[in-house]
Amino acid sequence: MQAITEQFVDQIMHAADAGAALRIIGGNSKAFLGNDTNGDPLETTAYRGIISYEPTELYITVRSGTPVSEVEQVLAQSRQMLAFEPPRHSEKTTIGGIIASGLSGPRRPYAGAARDFILGITCLNGKGQLLRFGGQVMKNVAGYDLSRLLTGSFGTLGVILDITLKVLPIPEHEMTCSMKTSFPQARQKLLDLSRETIPVTAAAYENETLRIRLSGKKALLDETTGSLGMQVDQDGHVFWQQLRDHQHGLFETAQDCWRLSLPVTAMPAFNDEAFILDWGGAQYWFASARSAEAIFQQAQELEGSATLFCNNSKQEACFQPLATAVYKLHEGLKQAFDPQRVFNPGKMYAGL
Amino acid sequence: MKFDGLQGVVPDSALLLDEESRRVYECDGLSAHRAVPGCVVLPETIEQVQAVCRYCFDNDIPVVARGAGTGLSGGAMPHERGVLLSLAKFDQILEMDAEAGLARVQPGVRNLAISEAAAPFGLYYAPDPSSQIACTIGGNVAENSGGVHCLKYGLTVHNILQLKLVTIEGELITIGSHALDSAGYDLLALMTGSEGMLGILVEVTVKLLVKPSFNRVILAAFDDVEKAGNSVAGIIAEGIIPAGLEMMDRGGIRAVEDFVHAGYPVDAEAILLCEIDGTEQQVIGELEQVSALLKRYGATEVRVARDDAESTLFWAGRKAAFPAVGRISPDYYCMDGTIPRKHLAEVLAGIGALSEKHELAVVNVFHAGDGNLHPLILYDVANAGELERAEQFGSEILQLCIKKGGTITGEHGVGIEKINEMCLQFSKDELNQFHAVKAVFDQKGLLNPGKAVPTLNRCAEFGAMHVHRGEEKFPELERF
Repeated sequence: MQAITEQFVDQIMHAADAGAALRIIGGNSKAFLGNDTNGDPLETTAYRGIISYEPTELYITVRSGTPVSEVEQVLAQSRQMLAFEPPRHSEKTTIGGIIASGLSGPRRPYAGAARDFILGITCLNGKGQLLRFGGQVMKNVAGYDLSRLLTGSFGTLGVILDITLKVLPIPEHEMTCSMKTSFPQARQKLLDLSRETIPVTAAAYENETLRIRLSGKKALLDETTGSLGMQVDQDGHVFWQQLRDHQHGLFETAQDCWRLSLPVTAMPAFNDEAFILDWGGAQYWFASARSAEAIFQQAQELEGSATLFCNNSKQEACFQPLATAVYKLHEGLKQAFDPQRVFNPGKMYAGL
Repeated sequence: MKFDGLQGVVPDSALLLDEESRRVYECDGLSAHRAVPGCVVLPETIEQVQAVCRYCFDNDIPVVARGAGTGLSGGAMPHERGVLLSLAKFDQILEMDAEAGLARVQPGVRNLAISEAAAPFGLYYAPDPSSQIACTIGGNVAENSGGVHCLKYGLTVHNILQLKLVTIEGELITIGSHALDSAGYDLLALMTGSEGMLGILVEVTVKLLVKPSFNRVILAAFDDVEKAGNSVAGIIAEGIIPAGLEMMDRGGIRAVEDFVHAGYPVDAEAILLCEIDGTEQQVIGELEQVSALLKRYGATEVRVARDDAESTLFWAGRKAAFPAVGRISPDYYCMDGTIPRKHLAEVLAGIGALSEKHELAVVNVFHAGDGNLHPLILYDVANAGELERAEQFGSEILQLCIKKGGTITGEHGVGIEKINEMCLQFSKDELNQFHAVKAVFDQKGLLNPGKAVPTLNRCAEFGAMHVHRGEEKFPELERF
């Protein structure tokens, strides 16, 4: 692996010297996501493998080019999982790509996001320096939390090499309940349920159907489903897998596909646009022909943010614009990690 | 004096200039390190905080923020030529939104006060550092505080949604949102645990959780520390994540039992406290499972609390561990390292050996679930040289933690206390990266100078710079 890291460093140094850019690529299954970026590819897939896994210490350390499916397979042998339910766009999706994009699946509101499970990261910055932040232990407050800062930074701050993640036990049993209902009623039911101690691990509404996934011991689930007034949906697991991996029909739209992250009490209006309520009402997916400007405006009014997830109409910017002062900090951080702007320039915001 | 200029910036009542008043603020919970601040400012509004920051920025005056001053690493130790900015008057809960499950509060609100205000709605704020009666949420964010329940419910960073902060240049910035995530870099995580080095917090939105309907504590005794450690691994391997999982060694058990009479078995080498929460049916099932497991791992005694009162009694001992130690020793020095749990027996043996070497007794309490060790070093400041020996002992414990793949601080922060050990845990390039991040927020280095991240000069003086990345081109790469 040393040879591969050295090769990455050479690539970075050459690019920095030449004023050139690098495009960091893992499994390339998320090429659709984010703004276009030019540059020579820096491919991480050869940098793969599990470095250490200690089921009783609840952590795994993996190289960034390792496919997510491989990580999950290894964890499953000890009945453990990545509890943020990382989406897999293909079998090639790498753990590095997941962490760089910070994506989390339907379990996110109940278990936490990718960033919540990060314990440590080793990376190369724009000067080709090898840096290690965090570690392998749950509690660690030495130094600034730069491993979480790198999570979701779309490769604009550094090349992620090794990732240590907290893992959790796989629930003994999972069960999905569903009911036909209207959007306002579904929202209200979700708000009501969030005040109870029910083992919910996913909640979504689409196509007049509210679905709730419960996880835990069988007896507990039987007891809970009885009190919900909903029907057991035997195919529920297929629905959650498709939602997790963005394979639901909505993502096939010829229009743009948007992600909306909102306070759970916000009430978005979609008019005739197809949508999915996810994360118990904290995240929406919808297909739209509207301009990015209009949607960013709406997201801001709802005190949330929008991401142009599948940019089919080739709009200019995919991420919610930032307040001026906050954007200034982003520019500063980019400069602090990658002064020559080698990594994924423009992938998130034009100036980064 | 430059501080006089602050008189037009904040009301006179918010400004303490005389020495007697300033001396009150000379230290935080780490009382071995003291400095009388140049002046103390107690602003009441965000505008005043902005004005103070602007004034200090223009006049190159250091600013040290302070909440309740309960921190254990000297993070709020004042600067002699600087402003000590107390957020004590920011003590209002601004919004309690039970439907959204969040509370918007000022930074000077006490940790426990949030849970108390949320209780009528069946909600609470999960992180519960041992100082929760007194410590403020602003300080919790600055230190990324944990507590006894963080194995299951996470640290501060997992339980906050939005921050408002004032930069050293006086600008008010909102980071995060009431949604689960926000656009751009994760500045919320960067701010959490940044020890007052990047900005002054003026508002925090925390997540509230639904209070579990049922909980019970199990107390298990062991005649061997290693068996206790193994049983912790056993519980986790069984797929159970307890709400709390605490361990105490023989010295701790005895000190506590004399003080609280919690009924702890004083002949045991170690005891384990395991709290299970959830619905009644689920808790009862897991209690049986864990009890059987503990016996299998060699517990000499397993007691399941019969009711809430007994659960509280079992916890009372653990929660009184520090004052109990305060009774048996004139002074004690609380350390805060984290280690991979599997090295527990080895590290405890190492601490035992260091105890003999430095001729100072030590008592160990341990957040066993997440590997966070709190050795309490007993000393008497009246005896010449004992404080210095205690500090050296503490430093060697932290070095042992690093050697075993752990960290020098699990939840207390670096502050001034562990600034030298930072040179051991991080390389020159890593420290430089931290400094570069700091400069983005605070170009002049006015916020909490001399804390959290050591200068390279300091590391050179300490003589312990990580030269493990010296001569060859990539000597560090072996560790992959």
